[in-house]
Amino acid sequence: MRDPTRSLAEPLLSLRCVTKRFGSLVALANASLDLMPGEVHCILGENGAGKSTLCNLIFGVHTPDEGAMRFHGENYRPAGPSDALTSGIAMVHQHFSLVHDMTVVDNVILGQQRGFVNTRTWAQRLDRLANDYGLALDPYAKIDDLSVGERQRVEIVKCLIRQPRLFLLDEPTAVLLPEEIAALLDVCRRVAESGCAVVLVTHKLAEIKKAADRVTVLRGGRVVARSDHPADEIDALVRAMIQGDLKSLDKSAASALGVVEAGGDQVEKSAPTPQTPRQEAVQIDGLSVIDTQGVTRLDNFTLTIGPGEIVGVAGVEGNGQSELAAALSGMAAPSRGRVFLGNIETTHLSPKDITAAGIGVVPEDRHTVGCVVEMSVAENMFLNRLKDFTSFGFLRRKELVQAARELMRRFDVRAVSAEVAFSALSGGNQQKAVLAREITLPKLLFLLAAQPTRGLDVGAVAAVYGHIRSACQSGAAVLLISSELDELIAVADRIVVLYRGRIMGTCAADPSERERIGGMMAGQAQ
Amino acid sequence: MTWELFAVFLGSSLRLALPLLLAGTGELVSERAGVLNMSIEGMMLTGAFAAAVGAWATGSPLLGLLICIVAVFPVALLQAVLSNTLRANQIVTGIGINILVLGATTLAYREIFGARSREQIPGLPKWSPPLLGDIPIFGEAVFQQVWLLYAGLALIAVTALVLRYTSVGIVVHAAGAEPRAVDKSGVSVSWVRYLGVIFAGFMSALAGAFLSIGDIHTFTEGMTRGAGYLAIAAVIFGKWTVGGTVLACLLFGAATALQFQLPTLGIDVPNALLIMLPYLLALLAVGGLAGRQTAPRALGEPYFRR
Amino acid sequence: MIGAALNITTSLRGALRPSVTISVAAVVAAALVGLALIFAMNVPVVDAVAAFVDGTIGTPYAIAASINRSIAFALVGIGFVIANRANLVNVGGEGQIAVGGIAATAVALYGHVAGLPAGLSFLIPLVAAAIAGMLWASIAGVLKIKAGTNEVISTLLLSFIAVWLVYWCVQSPELLRKPMTSSATLPESLEIPDSTQLPLLTGDYSFPVHIGLPVTIVIAIVAAIVLSKTAFGLQLRAVGFNPIAASRAGISYSRMVLISLAAAGALGGLAGGFMLLGEQYVLKDGFSSGYGFDGLVAGLLARGSIVGVIAAALLFGFLRSGGINMEMVAGVPTALVMVIQGLIVVTLAGASFFIGRRT
Repeated sequence: MRDPTRSLAEPLLSLRCVTKRFGSLVALANASLDLMPGEVHCILGENGAGKSTLCNLIFGVHTPDEGAMRFHGENYRPAGPSDALTSGIAMVHQHFSLVHDMTVVDNVILGQQRGFVNTRTWAQRLDRLANDYGLALDPYAKIDDLSVGERQRVEIVKCLIRQPRLFLLDEPTAVLLPEEIAALLDVCRRVAESGCAVVLVTHKLAEIKKAADRVTVLRGGRVVARSDHPADEIDALVRAMIQGDLKSLDKSAASALGVVEAGGDQVEKSAPTPQTPRQEAVQIDGLSVIDTQGVTRLDNFTLTIGPGEIVGVAGVEGNGQSELAAALSGMAAPSRGRVFLGNIETTHLSPKDITAAGIGVVPEDRHTVGCVVEMSVAENMFLNRLKDFTSFGFLRRKELVQAARELMRRFDVRAVSAEVAFSALSGGNQQKAVLAREITLPKLLFLLAAQPTRGLDVGAVAAVYGHIRSACQSGAAVLLISSELDELIAVADRIVVLYRGRIMGTCAADPSERERIGGMMAGQAQ
Repeated sequence: MTWELFAVFLGSSLRLALPLLLAGTGELVSERAGVLNMSIEGMMLTGAFAAAVGAWATGSPLLGLLICIVAVFPVALLQAVLSNTLRANQIVTGIGINILVLGATTLAYREIFGARSREQIPGLPKWSPPLLGDIPIFGEAVFQQVWLLYAGLALIAVTALVLRYTSVGIVVHAAGAEPRAVDKSGVSVSWVRYLGVIFAGFMSALAGAFLSIGDIHTFTEGMTRGAGYLAIAAVIFGKWTVGGTVLACLLFGAATALQFQLPTLGIDVPNALLIMLPYLLALLAVGGLAGRQTAPRALGEPYFRR
Repeated sequence: MIGAALNITTSLRGALRPSVTISVAAVVAAALVGLALIFAMNVPVVDAVAAFVDGTIGTPYAIAASINRSIAFALVGIGFVIANRANLVNVGGEGQIAVGGIAATAVALYGHVAGLPAGLSFLIPLVAAAIAGMLWASIAGVLKIKAGTNEVISTLLLSFIAVWLVYWCVQSPELLRKPMTSSATLPESLEIPDSTQLPLLTGDYSFPVHIGLPVTIVIAIVAAIVLSKTAFGLQLRAVGFNPIAASRAGISYSRMVLISLAAAGALGGLAGGFMLLGEQYVLKDGFSSGYGFDGLVAGLLARGSIVGVIAAALLFGFLRSGGINMEMVAGVPTALVMVIQGLIVVTLAGASFFIGRRT
């Protein structure tokens, strides 16, 4: 528990009325807060609330348009990360910036030293630091060979080796196993105890309960609530965060916040329409994928999905999910195994034929795989169906735009018009557009959705779940890949767990199975 | 083939490979830092021209060498500004600079010397390392070379050491593979890339100088004849390592040497085919290998903080 | 027909965007630098300009020569733009022209086509030229697909090889060199038969614009329509922006790369065919010199618009003629034109930062 005398200390960093705009978007408005040394301060807010902007301002990636920051009582206006680093501020970002083909120790040395480099000395320093804070790390390992959790540890060590006075972590637990999350929160505690001010940005209430000394809540770019006793005030915090009650939320959307009420009812899940005999819609048999380096990324994946059924694939990112999705969507050739959609084999079909067969894919990387951001919304929504709007090679543009408008209306995709660039849409609307495109395939038999709600706000999340459910009510089989366990428990009928490319086990998507699933995610065979 | 002829062949291969070796090493550093420097050709030509004119004007080839290093600086700076600060398409920039330099050097040469002149220019003296130069048969043919060759080889060795064992090497590697990591560690990606391009310019200038005042002792219009592009191909072939690049350049040098060697052996191959050989080899080199897997990830992409 | 004309008007109107201003400004600025250089060379600027103008529009012959040159630049430029839609940079225009010229000459001289009726005597060599260019560029296309080879390097290297191929052809009597009657026989081919030479628009040799002109105009129109109005054009753009997403949407990356580079090569080869069959009539070493880069720069200057390519090609066609005359009469080396072109490219490359467009 926090030392009550600490409230008398001077804030290490304080923000006063800080505002930041990106073009017409106000990412942060009139934000003020104090960060005290020796505490774990959580910034709570859903996706899009301004948390990352706040961190980037502190770390010098951006400069505030209005307002001021004071560090140790002095004016603080970093022109870039190097100023922040010199002041003693270190940050672990959501997206790591590690040089993939260099070793851990070289990554740590980067920017820290001039002239000839004594790798051994640095490696020893690394070992000592890792021991002090309970982080297991091999200094000579190459980043390419590390898991996501291990890479995060490298990022943390990179920060801690500079002995920072302020330590920021932006949504660090999104990529971790349940047990790794506990370890991370422990590290945060230890760092705070050593006198550093720790700032933990999150949208998960469970973490607040466990680790926070103080909480600041952001919504729509503004500070809407604060708490010095967060564990006791969770309900008030939630209300402030989403401007509504947890209970009033769609149960599955609530899962996006990381808190699922125990004994959550299964009413929203569609019961599979009883069919006798039950014809499996999708049969995946022994699917294996080997990457370009010869490493087996997916090993003997076998699964059947019935029509109208939602099967969830749980597991921390990097355990074969991407390869599974790539193989099923025609983007990667499986080295072994077969996939059947009803009676048709789809194992080696090209993406074009996969789509024609009635398989819709919502890829996890919306920007790289899902859409062409430079083209218009209308063009993106029908890129895989241009044939329907082509006569003698010529594109019937008016018809295309008209159809796009209709689709946008149905799926609540908000944009100025169907002809603006796709990049002008918000993340949530982009995802809705991609969903719209895939779900409205002429005869959708199988929907593959990979991390479909990542980075979306609660409203968009609810909409996505709604569309997925309606697809399955129309008889489509759904495979939902997600690293958010709570999401799967809320939405899926049953869950298979991937670990290092293999299925560790299957179980019902029930909150009571959470621990068992968590164990499987960590590699404990069942 | 007699030993004497073979020795001559080795010596010429080395001599013909040197401009490629120098330019290739420079380009390697630039690309490792993330800048695809198509203007190597132009920078070599600048070096060749400036060294020639400098040596002719001052009477001292050494001064010519120094002048050419100074002369290439604005060209390298132009490439660096365009590629990094203005974030221009690096391929277009490179080709534009090459066209500009080709025109400018031709124009200037005509103005100074008149058309079709092949003025004799004072050249750099040769040197022979003490023991190696005395080896019978091979000693003179292989090891008696323009001193710039030895200086160049030493430079390349130093570059390799720096890349491998110093913080500079780490920063350069990171700037091309993951520039965000460099930015977030407080080092300016721009600076690293600027220096990479300028280093490439420096090496290219030396390469060009070797051509005009080291090897042939004259300047002809467009005398680099695509050597810059061969250097780029060598870097790809060498998978962005110093050792690989050196091997590739030696290979291309040997291919060029064949042009002069085969006739002495009585082998009758059309001259054009021999001249074509290095380019053909380069094409095979870049076409046959997994260049796309090993290129620095951020190569060719200007970096800016989002 | 009317529809196509309307389309052209719309695109002309759309052409007055900021990118056009930049292009024009770059050209003007470079021209001014050129004038300054002329002054620095102690050549009376008035004389130089007069010689320039004389070379461009002084005589009908000059005008015709400029137009003929522009045809070659336009074709290479259109090819560049097409490939660039798929984010491919074809730098090998000169090589494609070279192989096109070789094919046209070889077929015209030794393909037994001289006696064919109905224009086949010149059409077949033209087609051969286009096919040769297409195959040459396809090498780079295949390398890109199979090995991920950067097409800039491969097309460039192929260009060098092709130029030396021409050299070889005209040096070897076994290939295309004309029979050596003495040691002074020039290394070049025989002159192609009259029937294989392209008919002129006016039939008048003092204004020798050949039928390549209307053909090029038609090609330009077709290219513009295909790129902007067809599903293929949209797919090409998608591949250029994001090959992975395009692939997921069912568009074959390999097919698009191959088609666009093949098209660019075919146009380059055709340009070579026009040059041989329509103007030069004899294959000589170095005939393609500089044409590739001029076409490339025209493509860059056009910033993706076919209309822009035509305008830029005309500009460079006349520029070159003017430059040649400037050298002959006023003693200003043609290298000056290269300097101006280099300045244009460099200026444009830097300017794209200020108008936020892809080059």
